[in-house]
Amino acid sequence: MAEARLRAITLAAWVSLAVCAAFFTVAGLTTAGIDQRSWLLDAALWTFVITGVSLITVPAPSGTRLSLGIGAVVSASILMDEVTAFGAAVSAALAISWILKTNISAFRHRTDSDFLGDSLAAAAYAATYVFAHDVIVEADIVDATWSVVISVGIGGVAWFVVRALVSAFVGVERTDLAGRYLWLLSLEDWAVVISMLAAGTLFGLTWPVMGPWALAVSVLPYAFGHLAFERYHSTRITYGQTIRALAQIPEVAGLAPRGHSTRTSDLSVAIAQELGLHPNDVVELEYAALMHDVGRITLNEPAILKAGYTDEDIARWGAQIIAEAPYLENVSTLVEAQHRPYRSPGIESDPDVPMASKIIKVCSAYDQGQVELGLSPIESLERIHQGSAYEFDPAVAASLRRVLVYRGEIPY
Amino acid sequence: MYPNELARQHRAKIRLAIAFPVVGATILVVLAFVQDFPRPVWLWALFAVAFAFFEWNTVEVNDKLYASPSVMVIMTAAVVFGPESAVLGCASMAALALLTPDDIRGRQWFQPAVNFGQLVISAAAASSLLVLVLGPEGSDANVGRIALASALAAVAYGFLNYQLVLFIVRQVYGHLDLHKWSHLAQLIVPYIGMGFLGGLLGAAYLLVGPATLPLIGIVFFTGYMAFESYAGLREAQLSTLAGFIKALEAKDLYTRGHTERVAYFSNMIGEAMGYNGTQLEKLRWAALIHDVGKLAVPRELIRKKARLTDEEWEKMQAHSHLVEDLLSDVEFLRPMVDIAANHHIFYDGSGYDGLPDDEEHAPTTEASILSIADAFDAMTSTRSYRVALTQEYAFAELRRCAGTQFDPEVVEVFITALEASGERYGSPIELSEEEARRRAEHGIGHSHAATESPHMNPHRSTGTAHG
Repeated sequence: MAEARLRAITLAAWVSLAVCAAFFTVAGLTTAGIDQRSWLLDAALWTFVITGVSLITVPAPSGTRLSLGIGAVVSASILMDEVTAFGAAVSAALAISWILKTNISAFRHRTDSDFLGDSLAAAAYAATYVFAHDVIVEADIVDATWSVVISVGIGGVAWFVVRALVSAFVGVERTDLAGRYLWLLSLEDWAVVISMLAAGTLFGLTWPVMGPWALAVSVLPYAFGHLAFERYHSTRITYGQTIRALAQIPEVAGLAPRGHSTRTSDLSVAIAQELGLHPNDVVELEYAALMHDVGRITLNEPAILKAGYTDEDIARWGAQIIAEAPYLENVSTLVEAQHRPYRSPGIESDPDVPMASKIIKVCSAYDQGQVELGLSPIESLERIHQGSAYEFDPAVAASLRRVLVYRGEIPY
Repeated sequence: MYPNELARQHRAKIRLAIAFPVVGATILVVLAFVQDFPRPVWLWALFAVAFAFFEWNTVEVNDKLYASPSVMVIMTAAVVFGPESAVLGCASMAALALLTPDDIRGRQWFQPAVNFGQLVISAAAASSLLVLVLGPEGSDANVGRIALASALAAVAYGFLNYQLVLFIVRQVYGHLDLHKWSHLAQLIVPYIGMGFLGGLLGAAYLLVGPATLPLIGIVFFTGYMAFESYAGLREAQLSTLAGFIKALEAKDLYTRGHTERVAYFSNMIGEAMGYNGTQLEKLRWAALIHDVGKLAVPRELIRKKARLTDEEWEKMQAHSHLVEDLLSDVEFLRPMVDIAANHHIFYDGSGYDGLPDDEEHAPTTEASILSIADAFDAMTSTRSYRVALTQEYAFAELRRCAGTQFDPEVVEVFITALEASGERYGSPIELSEEEARRRAEHGIGHSHAATESPHMNPHRSTGTAHG
């Protein structure tokens, strides 16, 4: 149902791009006193440039790869004098890149929603830029270059907001992720976006006076950041992998059930996203859930095993181990609080127990119910519901139910 | 370090701390007479802030390899100021970066004093060269010529800076540790690139106007921020692994600090062998994970005083291999896991259990380094089955097994480096191996555990290096 609606929206967007390209072409070529040859040449050249630049993507902090196409659109908006040629080039380039998507490997990992977002956002940028530029030039407050810079800034805001809205809308339609989470996630990308906008503007402003040198002026500084974004992205992946590997040491040692940490973490992240936690908190939750049982490595010590231990001990030992790693203090706090009940008699909700810890507690217990007690998913969930007087937060339990229903693990 | 050597260094520092500022101040005074101060002043101030920012916040491009776009700011400013005020403008704005926040916090006097002279000399020389090469046309020359002249001037800046650093180090320490400084030479390519770009940006400012400034600022600042986050994450990754392993180890009295010390010794050998930053980093990572497999092995097996049964032995190996497999999932750790996994293989190719192996199974130099560091720490710290042995005994043992178990070349490098460092490990009391075992059985001498572990410092500062 949701998928069908999305396909319809996507198709409608593509058709309107094609219609726009045709409309602008007809409008441009029939304008009185226009040199049709140079109009066509200009439009074709920029269609080619925007499509080509769109093929390059940069990993953004939100986890998606952003296309550099917007940089080329910004340059085009500054350098193209004919509004109709600009409109035709942008719509045609977007429509073409959409077709290329299925055939070009660079586009494979980009989703329909990325394209829908890029197209609508580019349209928003183009319209806002043209409008703002006209108004600012008319008002005659600042000189020509400053009016360009300010217009790009206004257009850029429009681009950013539309793209974030589209990604939140599409995400809510097709997944169980909360719109708030997706919206906040898109906001994480601001640095990449303004870097692309600034580079595109630099090219647009320097090309008329510096010629080919403009390429070096705009591309070289941007490349510095691009490289950093790439490296940041790959390091973040290996960091996650490192924590995943370390978290499994107690499991390998036979002190915790195999796969428990990974399953708890996957489920915890799903619940956090469903509840709309901040993306940064979700990352910390992921690490905390992975390492929530790391204190069990202490059970390697025969003396401790003999003396006996409680869940609280495991949580505390784990927190102590994690606290040794600087940068993971918050994760350590989350792990320490994970054994605590979400409330006690007379207190509605314990303010000292972070949401992330409540989530870990529920997910860990749910997995334990299945793996250690041999319960079915619905029985294990029932066990959580039964314990929700003090142990398990009912809000988290309700979210767990929704996630399991969405995943098809329990019937609706 | 001998007291008279320290006094000599102190005198050298005072000499330099007087000479450098005097030279710098003289240059500034002379320039004030022959050149105009750049106009508008806010632009000069803006460049000064940008220069100081990049000078204080160098980006760690690679391990121990720092790059700073500050030279680019100098070249942009020199082009923008024009020939009449470029030299005075650049020298005076560079001089303002003499005091870093760290220097103020640490109440340093030597570093800022020397920095002042160094910055003024380098900036004045580089901008004079630019003015000279551009000739009478000045900043009106065509863009390509400005960019090339600026690249040339940037290289001169880098070269001069490098020579001044060498001069200071030679004056103060009397000798040159070339391994530490050789990486500065690698920065020559970035200097060309940054000078080139700096010239172009200056030309863009002159041709387009001040509106380019916020744009350039945004692109560089976001790039800088991204590099900062990247460097922070790399640091976090290393310290997470190190901290984690340390905490896990701490649960066991006998291996406490072992990994940290092995990493320290491996790093010492690597540095003595002239390894570069990337190689050293790889070695440190390998040392950090070399014993991680043991963490998953039940303690009673590790502590067992009697010989392990075949079944127990297999169990121990299986646990270690499981952890190795686990870490192999982390892509960038794979080469380090290989080194760590091979550190039990003998130099002559025979394996852990003494069985002769194929020639091709001879360990890499990195694995040899790790095995020597591991063996040395095992001998000089107290274990469940014997108390710590002396450093001399450990050296003799390493030499005895050189050629069979250990790489003889690496053994000598290690012994030389450790003796030169003046650090001492192991028991201060001479004991035979039998006596050490007997004492452990009777619980005597546990207080003689290895001397306090030196702090592992993965990113030691490169001292006076500017670049």
